[in-house]
Amino acid sequence: MPDKHEMEPGLEERLRRLEEILAALESDELELEVSLSLFEEGVRHIREAEKTLSAATLRVEEVLSGGQTQPLDSEAGQE
Amino acid sequence: MGDDGILDLFTAAAERAEAESGEPPADGGALPSVPGDPPHEGAVAQSPPPRPAEPEPDVLSVSELNSAVRRVVEDAFAILWVGGEIGNWKRAGSGHCYFTLKDDRAEVRCVMWRGEASRLPMDPEDGMEVRLHAQPTVYEARGSYQLVVRKLEAAGEEGLWRLAFEKLRARLQEEGLLAPERKRALPRFPRTVGVVTSTTGAALRDILSVLQRRAPWTRVLVLGARMQGDGAAQEIAEAVRTLGSRPDVDVLIVGRGGGSMEDLWAFNEEPVARAIVDCPVPVVSAVGHEVDVTISDLVADLRAPTPSAAAEAVVRDGATLRRQLGEVQLRLRRALKASVDLRRRRIADAPRRLAQALQARTRPLELRVESVGVRLVRSTELLIAERRRRTQVLDRLERAMVGQIRRLRSDFGTVAGRLEALSPLATLKRGYAIPLDPDGGVLRRRTDFAEVDRFQLRVSDGRIACRVEDILDEEA
Repeated sequence: MPDKHEMEPGLEERLRRLEEILAALESDELELEVSLSLFEEGVRHIREAEKTLSAATLRVEEVLSGGQTQPLDSEAGQE
Repeated sequence: MGDDGILDLFTAAAERAEAESGEPPADGGALPSVPGDPPHEGAVAQSPPPRPAEPEPDVLSVSELNSAVRRVVEDAFAILWVGGEIGNWKRAGSGHCYFTLKDDRAEVRCVMWRGEASRLPMDPEDGMEVRLHAQPTVYEARGSYQLVVRKLEAAGEEGLWRLAFEKLRARLQEEGLLAPERKRALPRFPRTVGVVTSTTGAALRDILSVLQRRAPWTRVLVLGARMQGDGAAQEIAEAVRTLGSRPDVDVLIVGRGGGSMEDLWAFNEEPVARAIVDCPVPVVSAVGHEVDVTISDLVADLRAPTPSAAAEAVVRDGATLRRQLGEVQLRLRRALKASVDLRRRRIADAPRRLAQALQARTRPLELRVESVGVRLVRSTELLIAERRRRTQVLDRLERAMVGQIRRLRSDFGTVAGRLEALSPLATLKRGYAIPLDPDGGVLRRRTDFAEVDRFQLRVSDGRIACRVEDILDEEA
């Protein structure tokens, strides 16, 4: 549920971080070590983002009165 | 209203019925029959019997009479449109509304039952020009004629709705809630999208299908609410509050498919507007079709023309994202490669640059050394040349001298011969002698001898010491 969801950075954070990394790599005179570790971090973010994007099916949940959620058992999304 | 009034009404109704059927009444001045009221049919429908023959008349109760009148009135008039001005509007605790409709000469009592009245966007104001879709009838308890109103419309299309809309809009505007600078940017990549709509509506289906197509990694939290009818606005507002305050919701879509202005009305009500305004996360409003603009649309952070468009607006397209990621990856590699290449080039360049740097340092010195060298060489060369010149001079001199000497030598032979001839030695050989004083001077005269005591006589093969004895006279 939402917990695992909150731990990992989302696409938003990953893409923002990637932009930072690119800006640093493309403009700054960095130590080779730093460049390399930034590059590795960037590649990691890309992999994770791609993993996220590869999700096949929308998770649709209904919010119950207590605040819990349950999968919405409707074929609404599967047209 | 007295008896005459009732009779008039009956007469009028009878005349109308006659006019409509084109037939004269069954009996001149007779009342029409009241359908569906068998117990009194005979009594009312028959011609009054001659007075002397029937002393006991049939007497109707008031209830019977009013009920009969009501039936006549309701039968005579289908539901109809009537226009006029509103007066004495009153909404009772029960929810029913009572008022009068009037023009400059007459008025009529009107009632609007709770069901219809609750669908009104607002209470009409006294004096407002309206038209009513209403059924004329009789309030039996009072025996008064009145209109039961099904629909009330202010003049102009959707007048009352438009009016209520404008009133709320003006109020929200005054509070600054419609200001463009209040609009928040939507998150670029929401993880969780909250949706407030009817769980059975086409809007939800449309939204989910767009999200599935564009961004299937998204989580969707749906909170169903009734979209129209009594209490819909409260339900929608509550759902917006509930979903909007969840920490896991990044953005909210509120909306429904198209419908009449009345169907969409909940989205023009203040509770919904307030809930959207107060929502901690950005709200996309998608009510009806393009042409429908609601208060929700105005206060939301983004107005989408349709629910599908709202879904498009909240998520990025997966294909585009994947392409962007690919580009990012390419740029990453390029940047790293550039950074490595730069260093590689630097290393490769190092010796040359070192040499250059060194050269830059030594160049002036070198120049100086060079110039000194050049000067040295030049002066040496000059020296050598000079020396060479001198040598040549000397050589020539020597050669000249040698020649000279040779010439002199050869000359000398001849001169020597001649000298021989001239030499005193030769004379001496011939027997002459030369007297010399001790200093080597030649003693030529007598007087010369007077000066000396001793002298030498030079002869051809040597000298002889001599002494002066006497000096004789000349020619002696």
